[in-house]
Amino acid sequence: MVDTLTPERAAERLRGLSADVRAAVLLDAAGSPAGASDDDHDHGHELAELARRLFEEVDRATRDWDTDPPEQVEVQIPGGAVFASRTPSWTLAAVARRGALSSLMLYDLRAVLRELEGGPPIRRSAAAEDHAAAGPATEEHAAEELPMPELGADRPERA
Amino acid sequence: MKEKRKGPLSRAAGIAEGMAATVRRMQREREPRVLVYDPAGYARLVQPEARGHDRIMEVAEEMLTLVAGRE
Repeated sequence: MVDTLTPERAAERLRGLSADVRAAVLLDAAGSPAGASDDDHDHGHELAELARRLFEEVDRATRDWDTDPPEQVEVQIPGGAVFASRTPSWTLAAVARRGALSSLMLYDLRAVLRELEGGPPIRRSAAAEDHAAAGPATEEHAAEELPMPELGADRPERA
Repeated sequence: MKEKRKGPLSRAAGIAEGMAATVRRMQREREPRVLVYDPAGYARLVQPEARGHDRIMEVAEEMLTLVAGRE
């Protein structure tokens, strides 16, 4: 059965997707914290408040631009980076390690929000699922999956 | 047309150039900056001298400090 993602688990889900995420927080449409990767309640609230302020400042800085309101933001700072993504219903923000790949971080943020809004869950590839079912990987298994047949393997032996 | 054959020295120089370009790109990507993305995924840089840039940086730094303090 497919496990439905709840707001409470969304931040932790993001952290599970990317090892570069140090902490994450989810806010609802009103800007209230809906979930955090940190167990500490006060800490999660403080991070949520900062995430709310981040988009507030972004909206203030870009209000005169002749574009749609930004959906995602990336802030590179010495020692790390902050990424945030929003939909009309949710805002998900993450503090990441220095060197985290922006494109991957932004993709993961969007994927978690999409899953939260009823989109298909992010799943391991079928090949990875098969591997898990078959047990630990071995050289024999790897050899069986070679895409190219061994040269001359099915050639009839000469007399 | 026959491909021009490269010697080991020019191959090594090519690899070194590629590595240097990668390092430059990684350094550039880690420079302090604010990028915003529209719903289509197009990025736009908030210029350092633009209104609000410093405040966005400040909030992000506060977030990083908060998380670092917990680790």
